[in-house]
Amino acid sequence: MTPLLQIHNLKTWFPIKRGVFSRTIGHVHAVDGVSLEIARGETVGLVGESGCGKTTLGRTVMGMEPKKAGEIFLEGTPLWPARHKDTLPLRRRVQMIFQDPYSSLNPRMTIQEIVTEGLLQQKLIHPQARAETAKSLLHEVGMEPSILHRYPHEFSGGQRQRISIARAISVRPELVICDEAVSALDVSVRAQVLNLLIDLRASHNLAYLFISHDLGVIRHIANRVVVMYLGVVAETGPASEVLDRPAHPYSRALISAIPVPFGEMRQRIILHGDVPSSANPPSGCRFHTRCPYAIAACAEQIPPLEPIAPGSPRLVACIRKHELRSLPSILA
Amino acid sequence: MSALLDIRNLSVAFDTDDGLLTAAENVSFSINPGEVVGLVGESGCGKSVTALSLLRLIPMPPGKILSGEVLFDNRDLLRLPASELRTIRGRRISVIFQEPMSALSPLHRIGAQLVETLQLHLDIDHQAAWNNALDWLKKVGIPDPKERMRDYPYQLSGGMLQRVMIAMALMLEPALIIADEPTTALDVTIQAQVLELLRGMKTRESSLLLITHDLGVVWEMCDRVMVMYAAKIVEEGSRDELFNHPAHPYTQALLDSVISLTSRTKRLSSIDGQVPSPLAYPAECRFAARCKYAFDRCRRELPPLYDIAPGRRCACFLSEISNQT
Repeated sequence: MTPLLQIHNLKTWFPIKRGVFSRTIGHVHAVDGVSLEIARGETVGLVGESGCGKTTLGRTVMGMEPKKAGEIFLEGTPLWPARHKDTLPLRRRVQMIFQDPYSSLNPRMTIQEIVTEGLLQQKLIHPQARAETAKSLLHEVGMEPSILHRYPHEFSGGQRQRISIARAISVRPELVICDEAVSALDVSVRAQVLNLLIDLRASHNLAYLFISHDLGVIRHIANRVVVMYLGVVAETGPASEVLDRPAHPYSRALISAIPVPFGEMRQRIILHGDVPSSANPPSGCRFHTRCPYAIAACAEQIPPLEPIAPGSPRLVACIRKHELRSLPSILA
Repeated sequence: MSALLDIRNLSVAFDTDDGLLTAAENVSFSINPGEVVGLVGESGCGKSVTALSLLRLIPMPPGKILSGEVLFDNRDLLRLPASELRTIRGRRISVIFQEPMSALSPLHRIGAQLVETLQLHLDIDHQAAWNNALDWLKKVGIPDPKERMRDYPYQLSGGMLQRVMIAMALMLEPALIIADEPTTALDVTIQAQVLELLRGMKTRESSLLLITHDLGVVWEMCDRVMVMYAAKIVEEGSRDELFNHPAHPYTQALLDSVISLTSRTKRLSSIDGQVPSPLAYPAECRFAARCKYAFDRCRRELPPLYDIAPGRRCACFLSEISNQT
């Protein structure tokens, strides 16, 4: 079966311009050769720290950033075509929920206009059916139908995020890219919105590309996890396995660094230094400058993303992955 | 043991176009020497305003301190003349802000800002202050401190700037450090570095008031915790007591909605409804509308903060009842 989304060796670079004539003097390698697949109805969690390229990856899949190299397929159809006419039907199938519910809703549009704009654009409903459709969409995301003619500024962050979700699901997409969709919300509200996303996933058979730096959230919602570092994939596999027994030294450090109550963490790995610049990524393994287990070969060899054992769904990009398997678990 | 800082009935409000916004109401607590106290709550609960009001760091107007006392060294910080308050700010009580980028001057080099702070409070010459500042940058783990002294804030990453802030807060060896969401703007691996640094500070005898919304950070750092909800402290207790036996329904719900890394529950428990508007707090318990245990009395009157055990306070009628039986 063809996966819903297939990304092959995707690269998204941003030019760095300097001088009077805006000469390009280099590139930020935001996404630098990433491959991943998402099946229908599956949720893939994309994790990593700021600047690792997770948001850029999401935006490239969405067609908001042009790709430098590589391929993206939506059930075999290549994304994104150059002509607007060809883009429109694909747009319906991939939708996005943004991090900041304050800037992602047009303040001059009413809630009804916001949640039905896509439907009208796609000519999926008659303009007269607008109010009816908007009401049922709002009902689906747990909002009162009486808010139809109000404006975004009248709502709290959590409510706005529900409205964003209603807008995203209005055109019956197959894939929804959630870019830090719950990160700006307080804990109690975050749980409400996560539960909503989980319910909608079941009722609409949605696939999510769930981008987050919050591993607790990922653990809760994702079937599979992709850990990114400086534009490349460090590790991927089933969510529970990657989060419980991370194999890549970077994933281990990342997971061990999360402060959790009740002493769930047995061991804390403190990384030294900052993430290097993605304009000039380190040679060999990109993590070798901060890796506690780095050896001389790590600086020379680019580690391939390979199964940790033959036939395993867990892929790890580390040349010492077999030696490091004997390390103690980081969770109590 | 006498408290280092004693806050009594502090109330702070802001004038807005829509009326008076209550940010903190009758907040009372104390901090002992060497103690790490956490002030937790969700956005808008008044935790930052409370902490910043201690040093009168909120903009006034529109902000105003309606009532209360902040006793420190037998003096009331809220009534101290500005000139005297300046000798306390930075020297005896220092602040680490959430966004180091906006807390440091963008126009001055890191070194100059550190030296200025030192010379303002200590009678030392420029060279001695420079060396002292350099020492502190080394202590907080900044690589190549000599070069960094000559950098401007924009040349440093968020994690490095937060270290500079911490160095600046620590270098005068204050009795109390107020840290307002010191790691919220940072990535987890950098957050771990900064928390490690703050933890190392515990040995330095300074007290720390840590303001955060992250219960994981509280668990790792604090000796004692206060939970704020809708401008009021609703519960106080030692870390272990509060996390293992939360008394207030809000604290319980908050702890329940923390997503565990190890257990995998099907459904997250969440708190339904919303925080009441700070422009018009109801006369009853502010959590009553969202509370699953609420009964008649909760919808009629505001529960006071009951002393339920030594060092334990809780603003819930249920704790009053269980205490009597």
